[in-house]
Amino acid sequence: MKWSCYKNLEELSESDDADLDSLKRRIFYAVFIVLCFAALIFVRLWFLQIHKGEEYRDRADNNRVRMRVIAAPRGNILDRKNREMVTNRPTFNVVFVREDSNDVDELIKHLASTLELDISTLWEKLRSAEGKPRYIPVRLLEDVDWEILAYMENHNQDFPGIRIEIVPARVYHYKNVAAHAIGYLGEISRKELEARDPEVYSGGDLVGKMGLERLREKDLRGEKGSSSSEVNARGFEQQLLKNVEPLPGNDIQLTLDAELQKVAEDLMDISDKAGAVVAMEVKTGRMLVLASNPVLPLDQFVGGISHKNWNALLENPKHPLINKVVQAMYPPGSTYKMITAMAGLATGAIDKDTVLYCPGHYYFGNRRYHCWKRGGHGAVNLNRAISESCDVYFYQVGLRVGVNKLAEFANKFGLGHTSGIEMEHEKSGLTPTKEWKEEKYKKKWQEGETLSVAIGQGFNLVTPLQICLMTSTIANGGKQYLPQLIEKVTDPDGKILTRFKPVIVDELKGEQKFLPQIRAGMEEVVQGRHGTARKVRIEGLTIGGKTGTAQVVRLKQYKNMKEEDIPYKYRDHAWFTCYAPAEDPEIAVTVLVEHGLHGGSGAGPVARAVLEAYFGERLQQAAEAAGEKREMER
Amino acid sequence: MLRIDRRYFYHFDWIFLLLLVAVSSMALINLYSASYPPSPWGMPPYIKQCYLFLMGMAGILFILFFDYKELHFWNYLFYGFIVILLLLVLFVGDSAGGAQRWINLGFFRLQPSELAKLMLVVTLASYYSRKEDDDGYGVKEMVAPVLLTFLPFLLILKQPDLGTALMLGIIFVSMTVFAKVRWQVYVLGLILGGGAGVFAWFYLLRPYQKRRIETLLDPAKDPMGQGYQILQSKIAVGSGGVSGQGYLEGTQGHLHFLPERHTDFAFSVWGEEWGFAGSLFFLGVYFAMLFWGLYAAMTARDRFGVFLCFGVVMLIFWQAVINLLMILGFLPVVGIPLPLVSYGGSSLLTTLLGLGILMNVRMRRFQTGQNMEKVKQK
Repeated sequence: MKWSCYKNLEELSESDDADLDSLKRRIFYAVFIVLCFAALIFVRLWFLQIHKGEEYRDRADNNRVRMRVIAAPRGNILDRKNREMVTNRPTFNVVFVREDSNDVDELIKHLASTLELDISTLWEKLRSAEGKPRYIPVRLLEDVDWEILAYMENHNQDFPGIRIEIVPARVYHYKNVAAHAIGYLGEISRKELEARDPEVYSGGDLVGKMGLERLREKDLRGEKGSSSSEVNARGFEQQLLKNVEPLPGNDIQLTLDAELQKVAEDLMDISDKAGAVVAMEVKTGRMLVLASNPVLPLDQFVGGISHKNWNALLENPKHPLINKVVQAMYPPGSTYKMITAMAGLATGAIDKDTVLYCPGHYYFGNRRYHCWKRGGHGAVNLNRAISESCDVYFYQVGLRVGVNKLAEFANKFGLGHTSGIEMEHEKSGLTPTKEWKEEKYKKKWQEGETLSVAIGQGFNLVTPLQICLMTSTIANGGKQYLPQLIEKVTDPDGKILTRFKPVIVDELKGEQKFLPQIRAGMEEVVQGRHGTARKVRIEGLTIGGKTGTAQVVRLKQYKNMKEEDIPYKYRDHAWFTCYAPAEDPEIAVTVLVEHGLHGGSGAGPVARAVLEAYFGERLQQAAEAAGEKREMER
Repeated sequence: MLRIDRRYFYHFDWIFLLLLVAVSSMALINLYSASYPPSPWGMPPYIKQCYLFLMGMAGILFILFFDYKELHFWNYLFYGFIVILLLLVLFVGDSAGGAQRWINLGFFRLQPSELAKLMLVVTLASYYSRKEDDDGYGVKEMVAPVLLTFLPFLLILKQPDLGTALMLGIIFVSMTVFAKVRWQVYVLGLILGGGAGVFAWFYLLRPYQKRRIETLLDPAKDPMGQGYQILQSKIAVGSGGVSGQGYLEGTQGHLHFLPERHTDFAFSVWGEEWGFAGSLFFLGVYFAMLFWGLYAAMTARDRFGVFLCFGVVMLIFWQAVINLLMILGFLPVVGIPLPLVSYGGSSLLTTLLGLGILMNVRMRRFQTGQNMEKVKQK
């Protein structure tokens, strides 16, 4: 068989030389086809490696490099005595990177059964992240305790895709003290995210939503850090490539006194009062107390406030969300009488000895205007008018100077315009003028309305902060300081970036000589025998003050009712504003109690407590010294 | 015909051997990187491949001793042997990944379907060289080669191994077209082939095979499956840029983003680490070897030699093209290795044996010519 094959072949090759040539010629077609494919591969290689090389290089890097953002601890907030009010603590969250898990279903089941969790809530969290890129971690559990933490760290091989994320969270050492001034944090909203620098912010970040946390976001936020590591296709980290430590935010020291603030808030809180307490250094403008009650429950905002809690805040009739120090306006009531007195003295309409008669009412036009004391005060001079708050006296002074002069002096004492304090949505209040009314209501000013304005009712509106500024200006001899609440800002290295500097906004020129006459009246309010705020008196401290009652409504049906029987929301607001020590004033304290009825009884005790707390040490020393002296004399 | 002639030494194609050794060396260097870091157990793939390469070279040396004419005779035995192996695989074969393709020989897992490709080349070469027709083959003459192809084709499809089965089809078509057929055969072939394709799509193809084809048509449909592999391969090759990431520096391969990095996607690793320049150099040498193979076909002394050389070159060429086009994102993942480069003993041995036959033909290019001169002189 072998041989036959050979024979065959040799015969074939002999006879078919021409056929072999034509066969071999056809190889050129094959060469052509091979060349075509080689060219195709060449072009494709050029396209992938040269034309798109950069792009694919980036994609390869994206494949292998995973960058994790490390949140920066926000700056601390301290009080004037360097007491920590707000700092940070690390919280540990269990997060899940969907990209790193092959079997999400199995993993969630495993996680739920090992940690004894409700599987449906885990699924809910995953569902809420649908649509976001798969490499973005989804928070499954927040602020886990160390037991879970230790377990997860030790068993991380069992949970591909699960990681522990460390995020600083706010700690409020004084609970809700100064909540409105400090504010709270919340997750950045879509709108905010669009408006802000994308280099700095990304989704899920916490940003200040209110108060200084919002206004001083730039100082407090710090700079995020990052760690880049190389991961393999299964998501396991191979090595750390780069680590940038986060830079903590700047620390802010407040001018506020946490203890003093706490005294004020607690006292308001105990008696369930709504309102504001403001205290400031009269010679610098440093704010010591900026309290608004009811306080905001700051801890509810950590990690996002629940819908239920938020609604409760919204629906609370005492409006805890409103910062009553600057965002609520009230008629100033009798606290306005110092403005009327000043206008009277400065324009020469009265002097301190001018005596006006108060029969308990005053006729003007066809109307009878009452004094709060129906029996009347009799013959009244300035001192008595202020200390006993005689309405009839100030009706007449108001008429003599006119409403526009009243407004002019009100403005000089800080009323009717915003103060520029670092707080949000500050209201300007209202000091009515004739022009204002014509502009606003297209009606002529009625002289009778001047009477209401002169005793702080009518169109007048002020914020508690403005009354405190007014008191401060009276106490310090006519200087209107910019109210400030930041003592200094310090960067993480301890370098002081900004430091408190007093700023004078406005100053009385010449008229300040009348201030002692007004202060004398105010001292009588507290220290005098017939003063309206005798209850505020503190042994060893001379206080000048003024009570006030702001009418909420003037309804006939409540006129003859007992005060306790009037429904809460129709009761008058109570004012008390004061300064101390009268000899050389240091601080001014203003208290407004919403629907608190009377300044002396409703607001006075709060102011007294603040003063006691502020002067406490000095009073004690003085008392001891006095005691020793008495001993000696004996 | 065990005759050692000194002329064979002079006629031996050293240039071709040089090209083959160059390609193989680069392939082994690449394989070291593609299987890096070495796994702590077992023999590293590049060492294994090294041994198999040496075995293959020994096989070539052995083949060179015999005149390729002998294949006319041995071909029938080979054919029967391979078909028996293919049948054996279906019953006692090792399976992996849902396919039963291997026969475990203890030290080596033989993949008979790889050998079947070479076997088909030799069989068709033998058939077409003996039966010649100046006007091309008619339908009647095509019955035998079609049946000879169809038997192993079906057996391999049954494993299932669509890629290798299609390879047999491509070899058959290449060699048949090269042998020249009449237009009736083309018409009939198109009709039957098209019908078979439609039939296969609805009744024969398995869902995963259909998915692969669908993925090719719309890669975005399946980003984590088949499309993922192709995408990662494109990223690997593309990230090589002009000069590459550097040897052993490729991140796509070493961080396991590339699937099958030492087998089907071995060239992706080369492209990533050596870049456009390195890829051009490698493919330049590789294609030079193929062209040299076609040159060997052109210088062959007889029809059988031409068909053998042509068939072997086509066998390597089509596998290489399909593999490269897959790596570069033009074709679905079909499981066709890059001959000489991809890790896999059966493929390497088959390729080397094929090249051995090619070198054999080349070495004996003058023999018949001399004989014929002698005949003519007579």
